[in-house]
Amino acid sequence: MVHALREAWRVLRPGGLLVDLHPGVRHRRLSLVRGGQAQPVAAMRETFADQRAADRAITRFRQGGPGAAKPPAQFLGYTRLECSRVMDGLDDLREWLADFMTRDDSLPPHDWLVEQVEQVLRQSGKARIVVTGPLDLRVLRKGD
Amino acid sequence: MTIRMDPEQNEVRALRGVADWRGQRVLEIGCGDGRLTLRLARLGATVEAIDPDPASLRLARRQLPARFAKAVRYRLGEAEKLRYPDESFDRVVFAWSLC
Repeated sequence: MVHALREAWRVLRPGGLLVDLHPGVRHRRLSLVRGGQAQPVAAMRETFADQRAADRAITRFRQGGPGAAKPPAQFLGYTRLECSRVMDGLDDLREWLADFMTRDDSLPPHDWLVEQVEQVLRQSGKARIVVTGPLDLRVLRKGD
Repeated sequence: MTIRMDPEQNEVRALRGVADWRGQRVLEIGCGDGRLTLRLARLGATVEAIDPDPASLRLARRQLPARFAKAVRYRLGEAEKLRYPDESFDRVVFAWSLC
């Protein structure tokens, strides 16, 4: 991560902005939505190992010490926003989880979640599946 | 697969809130299938978008609307070894790729 940040800093012009956008450390929530009404089902069980490492790397990069930005970085801001994924059915959920696991090998299996959603859908009928979680956005400005 | 990501457009609203993207030369690191790339292009940026996964890039190129053909270029690349000169971008975006 430090190499990636250094490389990004190298290609950025003085006064330019580095924007980092990655999922925040809070478990995503899954709901079923029908007719505008959301029914909470469960929270996921992510480990957030990568997110915490990225947060630490950014902090070191902007605060000085080994691995710090040269020229120095000015921290312009942090925003947390909610981001949702809307899926039409269980196949979409399975595919999204499978894709998630290829990108984040620390994610434990979530078969239990699919089974839980399947059970609720069986009981209460068709619904959209909505997974919502935080996204953290940080902005650093490269010094002149 | 039918997955709609961020239908509320919170992400693009936040990006618009932190910077002016019009006319800016942007390097997007970890563009994946180009979802965020297109959002940056719609904000007026010229985007060089890189990703280490050829399959994702193929999908991104297929999904690139003709109207953004001049504003967006997808390339195979890794964050740790950027093949660009020093100080060549106004903005660098890590798109879910730092972690």
